[in-house]
Amino acid sequence: MSAAAAVAGVVQLVGGVAVAPLIPGTVQNLKARLQGRPGPSPLQPYRELRRLWRKSGVAPSPRTIVYELAPATVAGSLLIALVLLPIGGRSPGWPVGNDALVLVGLLALGRFAITLAAWDTAGGFGLMGASRELTFAIAVEAVLLLVLVLVALPGGSTDLLALSAQATRPAVWGEPAHWAAALAFGLVVLAETGRQPVDNPDTHLELTMVHEGPLLEYAGRELAYLQWAAAARHWIVLVLATDLFIPHPGPFVAQVAVLAGSLPVWCALLALCETTQAKMRILRVPLFLGAGGAVCILGLASWFAGGGS
Amino acid sequence: MSGAGIVCAAGVAVLAFGALLVLVARSARVWRLALAAQAVGMSAVGAAGAAVLFGAPIAGAPFRSGFAPAFGVDRLSGFFLGVLALIAVPAAMYARDALRDVRHACAVVGLSGVFCLALVGLVVARDVTTFLAFWELMTLLPASVILVVRQDEQARRDVFAYLAITHLGGIGVWASMLVLSAHGALGGVPLHSGGLRALVAVAAIIGFGTKAGAMPLHSWLPRAHPLAPANVSALMSGVMIKLALYGLIRVLFTWAAPVPLWVGLTLLALGALSAVGGVLYALFQHELKRLLAFHSIENVGIIVLGLGASLVFASLGRWQWSAIAFAAALLHTLNHAVFKALLFLGAGSFSGAVGALELDRLGGLLRRMPWTGGAFAIGAMAIAGLPPLNGFASEWMTLQSLLHVAVYGPFGVSLAGAIATAALAATAALAVFCFVKVIGLVLLGAPRRREAASARETPVGMRGPLVFLAGLCVLLGVVPGLLVPTLARLGPGTVALSRGASVSLPGTGGLPALGLALALVLVVGGLWRAARSRRAAPSPAWACGQLVEPALAWTSAGFTKPLRLFLEAVLRPSRELTVRVEHGVLQEVAYDAEVPHLFDTLIYEPVTHAALHGAAVVRRLQSGSLRTYLLYLLGLLALLLVLVRLGVLS
Repeated sequence: MSAAAAVAGVVQLVGGVAVAPLIPGTVQNLKARLQGRPGPSPLQPYRELRRLWRKSGVAPSPRTIVYELAPATVAGSLLIALVLLPIGGRSPGWPVGNDALVLVGLLALGRFAITLAAWDTAGGFGLMGASRELTFAIAVEAVLLLVLVLVALPGGSTDLLALSAQATRPAVWGEPAHWAAALAFGLVVLAETGRQPVDNPDTHLELTMVHEGPLLEYAGRELAYLQWAAAARHWIVLVLATDLFIPHPGPFVAQVAVLAGSLPVWCALLALCETTQAKMRILRVPLFLGAGGAVCILGLASWFAGGGS
Repeated sequence: MSGAGIVCAAGVAVLAFGALLVLVARSARVWRLALAAQAVGMSAVGAAGAAVLFGAPIAGAPFRSGFAPAFGVDRLSGFFLGVLALIAVPAAMYARDALRDVRHACAVVGLSGVFCLALVGLVVARDVTTFLAFWELMTLLPASVILVVRQDEQARRDVFAYLAITHLGGIGVWASMLVLSAHGALGGVPLHSGGLRALVAVAAIIGFGTKAGAMPLHSWLPRAHPLAPANVSALMSGVMIKLALYGLIRVLFTWAAPVPLWVGLTLLALGALSAVGGVLYALFQHELKRLLAFHSIENVGIIVLGLGASLVFASLGRWQWSAIAFAAALLHTLNHAVFKALLFLGAGSFSGAVGALELDRLGGLLRRMPWTGGAFAIGAMAIAGLPPLNGFASEWMTLQSLLHVAVYGPFGVSLAGAIATAALAATAALAVFCFVKVIGLVLLGAPRRREAASARETPVGMRGPLVFLAGLCVLLGVVPGLLVPTLARLGPGTVALSRGASVSLPGTGGLPALGLALALVLVVGGLWRAARSRRAAPSPAWACGQLVEPALAWTSAGFTKPLRLFLEAVLRPSRELTVRVEHGVLQEVAYDAEVPHLFDTLIYEPVTHAALHGAAVVRRLQSGSLRTYLLYLLGLLALLLVLVRLGVLS
């Protein structure tokens, strides 16, 4: 293993575990500023995690082992998903591989665990969120796979290392299919991170929650896992966005610098999107995501119109 | 005769003994012994099949075009015999305790044994007569089992629909097999005319597709499967519909090969329709076994997608990926057999413990029946395609195949591949949705009826097979790479794959199944331990301060409502709300909602009506009067004479 790969491994873990909460913190802070408020510090998520880690849990009844395992399953599957992502085009070769479809499977596992926990306590509000989240997931997974088809077209591989390597050259921007994939992936980012216009991360009104709904009964360390998992999901999709779509030429250090530089830009874009967009009706969300699918099909057509090089 | 052939023949003999033993006496001891004999016989047959699959010499005769009966086992047959044994043995062991309270248990045991014999016979048949004979037996025997245990009007209607649809579709099987046999294609002479190949391919897709339950030829499946006893349902959903795909594989990949590109694309379209349609209708079912039957349609769709991708790759000359897609289809065949048998047997246990399988009236069974419930939950996770279980491995391979169809094909093929990829991804997400609902309603939460609250765990004889099948789900999910290279060799192309726990395919990041499973167990276990060390305060679930009462419990319809509303234009759900108000006071609110099966109302009903109408018209010819019939004869004679005179009939 080269030194660069070892550094990439450290960034995967330290970045995913420790830096991830900074992303939602920064988005909240920027959003508040855009709205003319001072807002919470970007470090606020860390304070919340520390507070939750010290608190005792809550044991609702009825419940089974499913409820108790769910937070660990969500956090665990995302922790493994973190190390699938190459950093600066490298990965230290963890025994879990680097395949994009495995990443999709791990995200589905987390979703399965948390929505099942909602059934376990059978609280009405948790199930309301769970059923909406699973409805959105249908469109999210379909569009995400179409995005992967588009980005796999030039190299013919779903290996994230290969996908990251082929996006190093700025020439990728000359390809309309790449733009289409990037646009559709943007919609996937909004849905996966639970941002407006798909979901409102600030709401704590039971009837409107989607991602937060199944979290309702949790407290203490279990809630800390789930809140960290929400932050880690931001990290995963944003790092993936940089890996797949932002040209990152040059040596390893320069590639990592591009990643480090891109994350604040993504945060600013999320904050801007959240400030300007209102939350849409729930039944319009699948249609909104489906538009991403249509863009991907157009991208595919453009690829072949351009000779499919 | 080779060793595998001898073991297989001995196994068949023991199986036949087990099937006929019930004729001796009707006591429970005898039929329990008969089931044990069937299990032993099936184990021997399965062992012989597995031996041939993994390299033992091919046993018995090769395929021949004549009509003289011939039997033999090659590697593809070996694979299907292995799958059959993996399901039939646990099903027989399960039935030893499960059939205790069933009426006519003796007849059910005997017929299940003969059913297994027919399934084995179909797989080892090496000529067209034997093949078609066992094919018909395979259709008729489940119908007879259902008629033995169920005598109500509705069951008879459903069995009639099953027989009618499968026999009408079965014409395709007869047509394709007889044409192939007549041209010597079974014996290895390739079909010369492209038109003939197209005819055979279309007939085979209709015939075998009907029996496999591919949409839109599936309408019999959700009617017939839920009616049978659990062990027969497991065989029907786990193996019988797969054997239809076995026939399709033989025709399209060997006898009528090479088929044109459009056959592969047709399979992709049928597969995508079955996968999405099957799981979509499964979501809106309210009865567990019917829901599982719709999932069989979904999984047949996934297998057909793999087969279609393999044919498309073969047409494009991408032999490596053709073999991979074929292996994906076979792996999913095995995986689906395992988890679907597990789920059907589990449903049988719940039905025995609670008395009914309406989803909204179960609940909380994981606490009451931890072994059955736990195994059922593993099966549900596997069918939902979640890592690290077996469903994920085969869906991952199928998804990779479809994605590479989109990558390698010219524009039209690529578009088809992209749409099929998106359809399979949506199918996977819908399956997660559906099985979250099933696990939630059946296993979790509070019991929703008295019987569910007092349900008892089943005896060891019934939960043992479930635990065995759940173990298989885990095993096949953790080391799929041990099997994949062997399966890929059965396909049309060749691909050099390394044998190991992980599946490494070219053009992918690989599926390191074992590493993934270990990582998940270690990380989740560690995180769970770290959170568990805190004490937790008991509290009721939050309902905005309201008391949580059973009437507030979520239902199947409620959970799927967002999707139903979104797909209103497609599914056309019907809904009826009646509010009774007397003297300005609300007395009663009745709500009824249903998602009708559109294939029934839009396709099957008009066809049935037209057929009945046509029959009524034709019936007028049958006046019963001798003079009229003589007139018909005279008319026919005159017509023939005219035709001869005109020179049409020379």
